[in-house]
Amino acid sequence: MSGGIKIRESRCRGCANCIKSCPTEALRVIDGLVRVLPDLCIDCGECIRSCRDKAITVNDDEWDLIKTREGLILMADPTFYVQVGAYSRPRLMKEALEHHGFSDLSEWAALAFDLAAFASARLIREGGENLPYISTYCPAVIRLIQINYPELIGRILPVESPLETAVSIWKAETGSDESVTLVSPCPAKATLVRNPVGREQSSLEYVVSVRKVIRDLLACNAKVTGAKTKAISRRWLLWSITGGESRHIASFFDKGFTSISVSGLRNTQELLNELELGRLSGVDFIECRACDLGCIGGTGTYESRFLSQLRLDNIEAEWMPSGEEMEQIRSWFDKGIWRLASPVTAKERLPLSKDIKEAMAKLHEMDAIYADLPHIDCGACGRPSCRALAEDIVRGQGEVTDCIFKLRERITQLSGEIRSLSSKLPHTIHPERKRRPLS
Amino acid sequence: MAQEPYVEEYVIQAGDFSAIGEASTKFKSTLKMLGIPSDLVRRSSVIAYEAEMNALIHGGGGLLRMTVYDDRLEIVASDTGPGIPDVALAMQEGYSTATDEIRELGFGAGMGLPNIDRNADSLEIDTEVGRGTTLRATVLFPSP
Repeated sequence: MSGGIKIRESRCRGCANCIKSCPTEALRVIDGLVRVLPDLCIDCGECIRSCRDKAITVNDDEWDLIKTREGLILMADPTFYVQVGAYSRPRLMKEALEHHGFSDLSEWAALAFDLAAFASARLIREGGENLPYISTYCPAVIRLIQINYPELIGRILPVESPLETAVSIWKAETGSDESVTLVSPCPAKATLVRNPVGREQSSLEYVVSVRKVIRDLLACNAKVTGAKTKAISRRWLLWSITGGESRHIASFFDKGFTSISVSGLRNTQELLNELELGRLSGVDFIECRACDLGCIGGTGTYESRFLSQLRLDNIEAEWMPSGEEMEQIRSWFDKGIWRLASPVTAKERLPLSKDIKEAMAKLHEMDAIYADLPHIDCGACGRPSCRALAEDIVRGQGEVTDCIFKLRERITQLSGEIRSLSSKLPHTIHPERKRRPLS
Repeated sequence: MAQEPYVEEYVIQAGDFSAIGEASTKFKSTLKMLGIPSDLVRRSSVIAYEAEMNALIHGGGGLLRMTVYDDRLEIVASDTGPGIPDVALAMQEGYSTATDEIRELGFGAGMGLPNIDRNADSLEIDTEVGRGTTLRATVLFPSP
């Protein structure tokens, strides 16, 4: 876990529903509360979806406090601009935000997304052996690769998230050092602020979920006309839907560009498996998003992902940047501000032991423990599967009687022993003759 | 002290293309728990995958077995299929006897055996026409 997920302990009933939803088996229920194994969690938010008690949420900052700041500056994710029909253009949303005294950085975002697509196209063209490159946009996918696909690390495009780059450009151009709040559609993007990959520190300071900001905007129901704000390009909004990033990159390609875009963790994992086995030759670029339909399916969004998709489908994006826009893209490209500061590194889970002989002995032990478990993966032990319980036991983080079936067996065995003990007689009593009545 | 080797077996069902890659995924998770370096894990997964494919496409199913010793691992794939008449020819890149149907699925490009050879430290193929094929690939671990 890089800090994208928050557990509200007062709401958690320890029901163990969430532990099976986790694609990396990173959840356990211990002493009636769900816990996250930080080494395995990728901040994808599947547990948030599965929790009936809303005990798991995006780990964002206190919106009620943040919104009281004067002249609050928001860096909103592209999904933010398709949440409300009435504000479904960046310029309209900007006006709605102004009603609240907030401002956004949408014009900088538009430039940063153009720049990221332009830089990606450059790197892909020069990719050679490294192709296909993998998109860096979804932090949950990056984290999944760090943990489960270390061999694919070198294929991650070294391009910084445009949400981050937009703030860097804004700071460089305006000289401002005001704090900026990220409006995030998901727990994974919250980690851009909490625990960035490929850089020391984020240029963003706080993070709130899209849902909370939209709710406040709707409560005020500000009328907007768009008369006061100037138009901003909309091609970057399409990054919030599967394939939008690839489309943007393709617009900077003069010749053929082959990409595969998938969303949802099952598709992502299967595609990465195929890539790892060397099956995807001839592909230039792979775009994976952890959430169904892309970022509009994030657990921190407000609007139905289907309606968001409908709005995005209706956008007629102008894919050709204007001469002025192109000039800016080129100039920022040359400055290298779009590049990840440091390479992404693998974060593999610890093996059963550092010594292979010992690890093999433990694996044998684990198999023996597993063979004796009921294999129905009921979750009552607080682990997502019998296999996970066996692994926890050999790692010293559990015991066989955590399994209610094994516990019951043990009780049956014990009660048998108690019965046989209770039928034993002291030597002073003859087993067949009744005790002679006292005379 | 010699550690008892760790053995994992996987039955390859004839024609079951939907389960492709399952064996190599399972092997991969085992090797990770044992702390095998990631490039060796990748090489072993590729071997297991290609051997699984071969047994599936040509051998009519079979058995895939991975044995991990403390200094190496062995992947053995055995089938009772038609056997390979000319091993040297089968080892050539691009040579394949796969049917058109299988090629339509995107397999049978004649890269399987060469790919296994490239990723293994040693490869033995024991085959007899009409009896079947047993392939034994070894990956050595770096000495500590």
